[in-house]
Amino acid sequence: MSYLDLSIREIHAAYVEKKVKPLELTKEALLRAKANQDNCFEYICEKEALEFAEKLTEVEEDNLLWGIPYVAKDNLSTKGIPTCASSNILKGYVPIYDARVIEILKEKKAVLIGKTTLDELAMGGSGMTGHLGYTYNPYDPDHKRMIGGSSCGSASATAASIVPFALGSDTGDSVRKPASYGGLVGLKPTWGRISRYGLFPFAPSMDHVGFFTRHVEDAAIVLNALSGRDDRDSTSSFKPVEDYLEATKAKKQYKVAVIPEIVDSISDKELLAEFNKTLDKLKENGACIDYVHMDPASLSSIYATYFVISCAEATSNNANLDGIKFGPYYEGNSYQEVMRKARTNGFSELIKRRFVIGSFALMSENQEELFLRAQRNRAKIVSEVNAVLKDHDFIFVPAAPSVAPLFNASGDKLSSEYLIADNHMAIGNFGGLPSITVPFALENGLPLGANITGRAFEDGEVLNFAKQVEDVTGLGGLSAKKEDR
Amino acid sequence: MKEINIDVLKDAASRLMFDMTEDQYHTLLNEFDVLTKQMATISKIEGLEKYEPMTFPFDCTVTFLREDVPVTPLSVEEALSNAGSVLNNEIKLPKVVG
Repeated sequence: MSYLDLSIREIHAAYVEKKVKPLELTKEALLRAKANQDNCFEYICEKEALEFAEKLTEVEEDNLLWGIPYVAKDNLSTKGIPTCASSNILKGYVPIYDARVIEILKEKKAVLIGKTTLDELAMGGSGMTGHLGYTYNPYDPDHKRMIGGSSCGSASATAASIVPFALGSDTGDSVRKPASYGGLVGLKPTWGRISRYGLFPFAPSMDHVGFFTRHVEDAAIVLNALSGRDDRDSTSSFKPVEDYLEATKAKKQYKVAVIPEIVDSISDKELLAEFNKTLDKLKENGACIDYVHMDPASLSSIYATYFVISCAEATSNNANLDGIKFGPYYEGNSYQEVMRKARTNGFSELIKRRFVIGSFALMSENQEELFLRAQRNRAKIVSEVNAVLKDHDFIFVPAAPSVAPLFNASGDKLSSEYLIADNHMAIGNFGGLPSITVPFALENGLPLGANITGRAFEDGEVLNFAKQVEDVTGLGGLSAKKEDR
Repeated sequence: MKEINIDVLKDAASRLMFDMTEDQYHTLLNEFDVLTKQMATISKIEGLEKYEPMTFPFDCTVTFLREDVPVTPLSVEEALSNAGSVLNNEIKLPKVVG
């Protein structure tokens, strides 16, 4: 086993004890990145990473992220490093500024080794729609299974143990679902906890910066670094930042709500049996588990609510992608023709369909019935979720109804399994609630993830309970590398 | 609600400043069949008029004025570095008048 396969704290200890140097680990991470066959990368920052790591000679003992290699989803702005959000409309775009999270990690002297693939412009949940094609799940060397999306490359790279952590973004479940399919810890903190300055907007009322790790403690370390107010993101919070690492240390006893309407919409019996075993272990560990009912009609409407709002916001937010200020330029006889050619050639069919759906929802004749009704329903769902969280610390349910699906799998898009079990995690985005996925079992060698959603700004409690799940399942540090399985 | 047909979809695409092929419009029209049924899950919910449309998860109003802090603006080179058509330190586009 290499140091690169260890937790952030263990790598840090190895740096302090001078057993290994950042430059050596950076070189190894780059080797793994270049050998990767899962289509994780838009760009491997070899030159930039080596130059950066070479300067890291004096270990900072109080800085756990010093010299730690990482990757970032390619919808986060990186100064001087190509960033295209896996879309041809931004091919060749080189940002002139860093996203706040990239800036912080530079200050912490973490080493960015690559920009990762995503579903085009972060709109999708399969990892199949980026302009470089499918991103694969490293748990399936035959390349038949998805890692999920939209943060597909970041999830795949972390699951393949190329890096100990990876930045992503989450608008519906784009960190937490791939975390489930990749056996990872995937955290979407409270909305406003991490600055979104420099994150390409998809649907800003639901967009979050999130990240993947292989250990819950690593998630606490990364959240400690990234949290805090940023004046350049007016939606970032002024609330004081707690010490999340400290928050994971003392085991607390929690009151946990399991939602039967979500669990019962899952047909995979093995998954359900494993989930029940996990609940038993948590009870033995001191958790109070209650089954709390929610209105199935509300739960069934989560997907449509998410889809209408996100498409409508995306339609508006991507109006700046015109091929004039950035992206490939196409000659034309008028500026309208220039824009039309850029947008026709730059967006894939799927993105165009989403924009048309968003535009349809915003048409004056439809706005009340579609867009505003979806926004009202969002408020209703959030009030129902908050009512559950009034008496319980968390909602705890399977993150997805199955292991990573096959690329060619087809399902009924109107079934409860699809509408509820496959899409419930958007509640965390509707209400801006902290939400984390952690692995709870393996089914035929493929990971299954559970999701914990807590109260706004109680990210530390969510991490504490996630650590307890990790402890009772013994699945901390899971990766797709063969020797780990 | 406006009736969904190919002409409505073409009008939307035109306003969004892109073209789609006839096949793509038909795929989208078929997608609307499923979508309409999914959207019906919202129409079925009763009592929504009691709720205000939710535009953000929670209030994040900033109630103070920031101090004026001088900053260095973008240089011309930076501002134009990603533009595909540039002339004399300006973005060049086809003439609008004349």
